[in-house]
Amino acid sequence: MEFFDEKKNWNENNIKVGRSWKLDELRIKSNTDLHKLWYVLLKERNMLYTMEHECNDQVKLFPNPERIDKVEESMKHIETVVRERNVAYYQLETGETGERPVEEVVNLFGLPENYSQKEYFLPKFMNTRWIKTYLDHGYINSVAVKKFYRLYKEKQHNEERKARNRDFNHVQHLLKRFPDMDMDALKAEYPNVDIEKAKRSKKARGHYMPKY
Amino acid sequence: MSTRWYPIYQKGNPQLRVFLPNFWMKLVRPYDKQQPNIVHFHCSMEMTKYDIKNYLEKIYNVPVVHVRTKIALGKFKKEIVKGYITKDEDVKVAYVTLPKTHKFEFPDIFEKKTGSEDDAKALEETKKSFKKFLEKNKDRTDVPSWFSI
Repeated sequence: MEFFDEKKNWNENNIKVGRSWKLDELRIKSNTDLHKLWYVLLKERNMLYTMEHECNDQVKLFPNPERIDKVEESMKHIETVVRERNVAYYQLETGETGERPVEEVVNLFGLPENYSQKEYFLPKFMNTRWIKTYLDHGYINSVAVKKFYRLYKEKQHNEERKARNRDFNHVQHLLKRFPDMDMDALKAEYPNVDIEKAKRSKKARGHYMPKY
Repeated sequence: MSTRWYPIYQKGNPQLRVFLPNFWMKLVRPYDKQQPNIVHFHCSMEMTKYDIKNYLEKIYNVPVVHVRTKIALGKFKKEIVKGYITKDEDVKVAYVTLPKTHKFEFPDIFEKKTGSEDDAKALEETKKSFKKFLEKNKDRTDVPSWFSI
């Protein structure tokens, strides 16, 4: 069983290992090399998981737990490289990326959602159970979902409105306290506020006679 | 494969091949006493019995006769002060039977080392440095310990 570490590393406090594989190092390797390296890393990861579990069971300290992170990072990098090659191959052969297609659909709450497509045994037009929710009297067009969507929109609108008013009031008070401030900086900080309008308002006037 | 997205099963050949499996398995100490040819594993939740058999035979060259799996429920715990409930992750446990000729015994990893010189040396060094520290701060007890060159 290769699930255990080498015998000399047993019951050791400090196990010295190297760094993880970098992306650029993996990019110059062939596919077969990457395939072999994947299995080496997989076995290493299983070994580390086994040792960690045993250490936890025996209430001991697992030496150098960063080894697991290093292996996982290397595996992630291999996957990235394989994916890059896959995309390049598909672009050359078919003009598409070959990645999983994503579609914008309306979900059961009536909200737009990005749905990663997958394969089904039944085509859409034959799937009577799935189509039911999208019919005129289906779930998505029901009163409950519409009410939820209306209230959701109202909440979003209120948040927007409050933010707008808050900014406008803040600019007015700033103008009251600092009438000679840098207007360009103010405009950059609050791009949605009409500063000319704010200057004319009553709140922006200080406790002194206006100049006009 | 690299997108980790499996097409649905279709009859006939060639079948889908897995080139970069991301399944993990860990060998665990059996809770109760077992037959010498039975080994316990924890594995990825998605693995089937066939996956486990193939995984051990192809990657580890271990002959497998029979596999049983179960999903062990994670423990529920109640927080003592605030009273909310947390639950540990479920784990898939695999009981793998090897051929009768094979024997496996879980090794004792934390055997007592005979000459643990490193620990003694480290302890001595710590003691020495602490003595040095005391010596240095003998005349300035009101100065914090970090205040030095």
